[in-house]
Amino acid sequence: MVYQLRRWPGIKRIARDGPLTPTTQDSYRKMLGSLYLPSGTWLHLAPAGLKLAVLALSSTALMWVHSPLLLLLTCLLVCLLVRCAGASLQQVWRQLRPLVWLLLTLGALSAWSQGVLQALEMVLRLFTLVLAALVVSMTTPLTQMMQVVVWLLGPFERLGWVDAEKVALGFGLTLRLIPELGVQWQDIREAQLARGLTPSPLTMGVPMLLRTLRRADEIAEAIDARG
Amino acid sequence: MLIEFKNVSVERERRLVLTDLCLVLSEQRIGVIGPNGSGKSSLVRLINGLLLPQTGQVCVNGLDTGKDVAAVRRQVGFVFQNPDNQIVFPMVHEDIEFGLKHREPDPKRRVLRAQAALERLGVGHLTERSVHTLSGGERQLVALAAVLATEPEILVFDEPTTQLDLRLRNRFEAHLAGLPQPALVVSHDLALMHQMDRVLVIDQGQLAFDGVPTEALAWYQAHCA
Repeated sequence: MVYQLRRWPGIKRIARDGPLTPTTQDSYRKMLGSLYLPSGTWLHLAPAGLKLAVLALSSTALMWVHSPLLLLLTCLLVCLLVRCAGASLQQVWRQLRPLVWLLLTLGALSAWSQGVLQALEMVLRLFTLVLAALVVSMTTPLTQMMQVVVWLLGPFERLGWVDAEKVALGFGLTLRLIPELGVQWQDIREAQLARGLTPSPLTMGVPMLLRTLRRADEIAEAIDARG
Repeated sequence: MLIEFKNVSVERERRLVLTDLCLVLSEQRIGVIGPNGSGKSSLVRLINGLLLPQTGQVCVNGLDTGKDVAAVRRQVGFVFQNPDNQIVFPMVHEDIEFGLKHREPDPKRRVLRAQAALERLGVGHLTERSVHTLSGGERQLVALAAVLATEPEILVFDEPTTQLDLRLRNRFEAHLAGLPQPALVVSHDLALMHQMDRVLVIDQGQLAFDGVPTEALAWYQAHCA
């Protein structure tokens, strides 16, 4: 057993962290499955178009802000909005956790190449943007976002250039399936750990690709079946 | 209900999965059983045009699935084996309302119809829930509600009890018995077949036996076990 634990780091990790029980797996699914949090806060009641417009404008405006103090204040304001959306700190942390390493790495690279102040500015800006997008995702149902896409594409549809409903459905399904890819990744990783393998980009990539293609076929079939 | 298979053959990935099938289905409850890979799922996928035959013709209430696929799909509700494949939207009500989009132009009536379908299955409380927080059994019921909300004339179930525990399986059986629509059920759950009027046994892409449940199950156990 000791030999196995040394030989297979995956098993070692399971032994250290405890087995992945169904409850743990379920919580992973809940965490990764959907960003929308059903509630009745004023942010949930606000029109989806308005939220997306404010997000787009404020994100663009943020690119011209270079004062770390102002960026920090904006970040705190967005944190306040997260609380207003009814999300707990734990829920937000679960969504942001995968990004922390990316932000830290980018921050370190930026500090090394451009200086600490520039790095701080960049990290604050990115963090605020992600948090703001999260607020919109947590408070806007997918169908409302799709309606905004249909409205935006309305003029092009009248010209006969696009089928707005189809584009909106494609957009909606993409948003819907991004978190599901996380669940899929988790499933494949667990299956490999359970077999004593150490997941690597190659061993994860191939089943991930095959599963994603199969899932796309299944969803297309389900939509077809509904007429 | 009248479903006709006229000399139907289906090939998938260069393999014949159904061979020269001739059938007329008009009973209220029809069961389809058979070994894995025998062609059961292909048979039911032909009914709403998810699969088209290479040769022959499939007609549902006089409509050819190859030519009138949209009209056929409006008549045939299909419940998939895995509810995760069927549920495409993250919220329960969004998913059910999505299926009604082309059938009910009034959004308020769509909401009411979605709620009514969930209430009918005793899961009205799930309306505002995220699909990812539901158990396997609840998802199966939501998938069924999404199909029932469209008020199809014929229902097709592809292994509906696979993911259900005993309690939910019994609940599903009771719901099935109470449905007014004719239904075709593909299943490995042989106990479920007892409430059928007719059971088809499919083996190696062919209709191996066709009869009442007791005879069909006896034949299946004698020849395919």
